[in-house]
Amino acid sequence: MKFQLTQFLKLILLGAFSSFFFKLHLTGEIAKFINPKYILMSQLAGFLFILLFIIQLGRVWEINAQHHCSAGCNGDHDHSHSRFKKVFGYSVIILPLLTGYGIEPATLNSSIAGNKGLLLPQNEGMSQARQDAFNEVVSDREPLDENEPIPNNNYLSDSEYDRKMELLKEEQIEMSEDVFAVYIEEIQTNPQMYNGKKIKIKGFVYKENGLNSNQFIISRFLINHCVADARVVGMVSEYKDAALYTQDTWVELQGTIRTEEYNGVEIPVIQVEEVETISEPDDPYIFPILVKIV
Amino acid sequence: MSRWLYSSLVNTTGVLALIVVVYFVTYTPWLMNSVSFLLSDSFIQLNTIFLSILIEAVPFVLIGVLTAGFIQMYITEEHIRRWIPKNKYKAIIMSCLVGAVFPACECGIVPIVRRLVKKGVPLYAGVGILLTGPLINPMVILSTYMAFGNHVTMAGLRVGGGFTAALLITLSISTLFKSNQLKGPLADPVHKEAQAGTNRSFSYKARGMMQHSIDEFFDMGKYLIIGAFIAASFQTYIPVKSLYLFGDGLMYSTSVMMGLAYFLSLCSEADAFIGASFSNLFPSVSILAFLIYGPMIDLKNTIMLLSVFKIKFVTVLLLLITAIVFGSIIVTQSLFL
Repeated sequence: MKFQLTQFLKLILLGAFSSFFFKLHLTGEIAKFINPKYILMSQLAGFLFILLFIIQLGRVWEINAQHHCSAGCNGDHDHSHSRFKKVFGYSVIILPLLTGYGIEPATLNSSIAGNKGLLLPQNEGMSQARQDAFNEVVSDREPLDENEPIPNNNYLSDSEYDRKMELLKEEQIEMSEDVFAVYIEEIQTNPQMYNGKKIKIKGFVYKENGLNSNQFIISRFLINHCVADARVVGMVSEYKDAALYTQDTWVELQGTIRTEEYNGVEIPVIQVEEVETISEPDDPYIFPILVKIV
Repeated sequence: MSRWLYSSLVNTTGVLALIVVVYFVTYTPWLMNSVSFLLSDSFIQLNTIFLSILIEAVPFVLIGVLTAGFIQMYITEEHIRRWIPKNKYKAIIMSCLVGAVFPACECGIVPIVRRLVKKGVPLYAGVGILLTGPLINPMVILSTYMAFGNHVTMAGLRVGGGFTAALLITLSISTLFKSNQLKGPLADPVHKEAQAGTNRSFSYKARGMMQHSIDEFFDMGKYLIIGAFIAASFQTYIPVKSLYLFGDGLMYSTSVMMGLAYFLSLCSEADAFIGASFSNLFPSVSILAFLIYGPMIDLKNTIMLLSVFKIKFVTVLLLLITAIVFGSIIVTQSLFL
């Protein structure tokens, strides 16, 4: 009968992992990391860790000491490793627990947006072929009205989706969180259809290279699965005092959509009439719209 | 040793472990606060991305290691010998098909493949499953279909092209490597009795399967964590646009997209949306390369494979996948488009 320190360490780590997953759900922090639609999987992980914790409990005291390998052991695990490798291995495993408990999750900001690719059509350095490909992609897209809503929604039913898409035809466009991405895509695909319409939109200020000093992009991060696949969606906005609003400031603005030529591509631009600085919303991210397939 | 004494000892240990966990949970924020002046804003962003990759991947890894544990305890070499066709070419096709119907992600598949190869599945058949498992499954097909504006073309090309490429790669591996290429001893004869096929009770085996999964989790977990950390650093510090400043043309854009697929290490269920966001910058075939290459191999996956297989094999596999995906994309482009 012998106390197995390594097994005890594993036991503690399994417990800590389990409590980490439950903490994420109980505090709601999970929404800072993954699309809430997928939380079921991570809840499952929390419960699986509890199960493994219980199983692991039986291994801490090995009854048969010289046979220090229990059921299922194939002799290919830790034993052959050197002490250093072992210590290193466990330090690596502890790392996410340390930073997970110790560092508050951040909301992605413009420094990441800048790394994620560009929103504006690029011209300089773009060959004819690429330009053609771009135009082809743009012209390929059908107007959204004819598209079926994408299967599997952020909890919008088919009819509600249709109703929301109807709202886009009104004079005043309200960019609410649930339809943010589809609205923007639609407006960018057919800018001339929305020329002159009023718009009200919330987001953070992102200044992409190549914008004038009176312009910024009003943006949100769109998350499909987890924060690692976030991408920026947004619209160019023009405002005389744009310079006053620094990167990452959250604002709500009202204005009129006008089409402008940018690098030979027609894009929608918001002529801002009113800006109000707001605090970061509780749900800073937006999620793709999907209609349930059942 | 009396049974009562043993069980109360175990209970005490459990309580003790929980107390340690509570201490850990309580004091870590305090500990990290005291070093918070060392943390830059960009590191905090990096940490968020790092954790989100893990939170997304861990459930799949757990399912992967449990499956591996199940194979260890319930499936014998005898079963496998019966299931895998004797003919090499039939075996290759079958392994790719098995991978295609098996819903796995690229981090969950590595422990499963290792266990299968250890159980005597030929290396090339293991590779077949490794390649098509994460690439072709209902979630991936659905997300690709959605990401490309509900057009079936891209999803179809991804499945068709990916399957063909996987067959070619598996075929090459089967001619290049004869042995199983695993690291470490094949099996430990002392513990033979603890494997499948012996007449142990169901609950004994279930316990064995779980214990096995725990060890596998700690084994694989560290490589997953290292991979996720590097991928998060890449996302935080390296702007995507620095990649396409230097050139143009199909070869170039395809290499860039494949490089992205490798270093971003996205889950195959989510990468279609990222791929689609590049459609205003790169031609569709380059994006197709991104979609096929990423699930087959990426940074996080390579590190996990290196822990299981010999370096030489992983290097050859990496080069083969790269060459074949790249080659077939270029050929497709010049033949059909």
